[in-house]
Amino acid sequence: MTELDIEGITRIDERITTRYRPEVWEQRVSYYIRRDAESSQVAEVNGSVAGFMMGEVRGGEFGLEEPTGWIEFFGVDPDVRGRDLGRKLIDAILAHFRDQGAHIARTMVASADTDIAGFLKAMQFTPAAVAALEKRL
Amino acid sequence: MSDQQHQLPRQYHDAVLHWQRHNFPDFPRLAEQWDTYFPKDDAFCLCARIQQNMPDRIEVGERAGQPKAVVPKELDPKAAEELLAIIRAQASTEFGSIQQHQATLARASDPQDQAWVLRVMAEELRHGYQMIHLLTSADWSPVTDTKPQDMVEEILSMKTGSHVLAAFNLEYDSFVDNVVFAAFIDRVGKYQLTMQKVNAYKPMAASMPPMLREEAFHLAAGVIPMRRWAEAAAQPDALITMPAMQRAVYKWYGRGLEMFGDERGGKTNVRLGLKDKTNRVAQDEYIAEVDRMLDDINQRYVRARFPQLSRDDADALYARVKGDRGTIDGVSWDEDLLKLPHPGFFRRRGEYAFQMIGVDGSKFDDVERYIEHVRDHLPEAYLASIDVKHWAELQRGVANGTVPLETALKSMPRLARVGGACPCANSVRWVVDVEVPANGGQETRLNP
Repeated sequence: MTELDIEGITRIDERITTRYRPEVWEQRVSYYIRRDAESSQVAEVNGSVAGFMMGEVRGGEFGLEEPTGWIEFFGVDPDVRGRDLGRKLIDAILAHFRDQGAHIARTMVASADTDIAGFLKAMQFTPAAVAALEKRL
Repeated sequence: MSDQQHQLPRQYHDAVLHWQRHNFPDFPRLAEQWDTYFPKDDAFCLCARIQQNMPDRIEVGERAGQPKAVVPKELDPKAAEELLAIIRAQASTEFGSIQQHQATLARASDPQDQAWVLRVMAEELRHGYQMIHLLTSADWSPVTDTKPQDMVEEILSMKTGSHVLAAFNLEYDSFVDNVVFAAFIDRVGKYQLTMQKVNAYKPMAASMPPMLREEAFHLAAGVIPMRRWAEAAAQPDALITMPAMQRAVYKWYGRGLEMFGDERGGKTNVRLGLKDKTNRVAQDEYIAEVDRMLDDINQRYVRARFPQLSRDDADALYARVKGDRGTIDGVSWDEDLLKLPHPGFFRRRGEYAFQMIGVDGSKFDDVERYIEHVRDHLPEAYLASIDVKHWAELQRGVANGTVPLETALKSMPRLARVGGACPCANSVRWVVDVEVPANGGQETRLNP
């Protein structure tokens, strides 16, 4: 992923959420580029960004000391779904996580988001032995 | 994917820090701002980084498949000579860009943009440090009579106006230059570093991946502010306008193209295993990439100008304006949107040097009309520079036959503040003798 993918990622987000949020994706892309430019991935179809997956290896969060590959943002253009882009993106980011010394990848998914949950299950992600907790403020 | 960190022998490390105090006085502010703008990132390290697990065998050229050199004397003598010139030029660019950025850093209108450029400058300092590491950690005597300390002295003595490449001899006119430079000139740096990942000299190849990881952020530090400025430029009260950015593009683009070397060259570096692309191949890829970058920025502008349009309608409008090179719904290709000039515009090196080609590719016969044309497209403050004056004099000379093209190609402006040693009253050299430590002054590995 490079800074030239921002426009394409913004476009995919807009297609999925109907919100145009370039400044949000500029901040996110710049963060991941700065942290590890080779970690986050994009998939292209006919020269245009058709999918993205952002994440990085971190350790020490939530008491999880081991280096963990965190997958934090991803999306695939609805027009090109069904071409296995999600699998290719996840294979690429997991390979990079392994190169960075991570032996486990983690992510979180809203329980109502059955499409993403189904995708992650198909990618052999299983429920973790940690619970996501929240408190409304 | 890990890298080893090395510190230079004390005399060179101190020389770089001494140089930083004079040329990069804002450097200490980076540590003060780090947690605000880069809270999760590892602290900045002024050190050389050597990537581990790099290929042991030469990847391109006549010696492909043979073991890579780990000391200069193992290189083909011609390759060693070329590589030494590349490292010295690379070092010059790293230190040179800091001198350029420093002059207008304080004029940033956005604190985040300023902090990003500050980090870019610090990482350029690290890249210069990396090149000095390459020059001082091995014996280059088979290809040069210049001692390592004198090579370092020469690099640290350069000022804006005496650097190896023209792009690093232009002074910035405003913070627009800090940003446009990062988007255009650092991008050439990315290409050069990427091509050198295959370098037949293993320490050079292993220096590239850590530098490239940092360079990726430098490009973002250019493109993202340009994108935001384009959005703001769609409003009537914009302070940084699209024409202001366009003029900066005209100022820097040709210098960026020239950093690839003559379009007809580069075969020797590929044959010697130093790079994996010829100049024209790399330059063509760069042109396509910056064209795409400007498309993205223009699309941001069009979306901001017509917020009521859907994404698809805005994209279609932009495509029509670009395709027609005209004005549709009040959006003018000439007045409102960013575009690349013809690669021959305002050139002094390479196949287009001094050929009097306009921004649209048209050829001029009258040198005074051409100088007017160039003048009308460059930033006003830049016109007052010695660089433009020097170019205009050369252009006139080449056009009327009083200056041979070969002479013009080699001519560089000499600014008033050129060269010289450290301005400290108590020292005339950057590199000064220090007490030799017990390890004989050999470099120290920080994280073996």
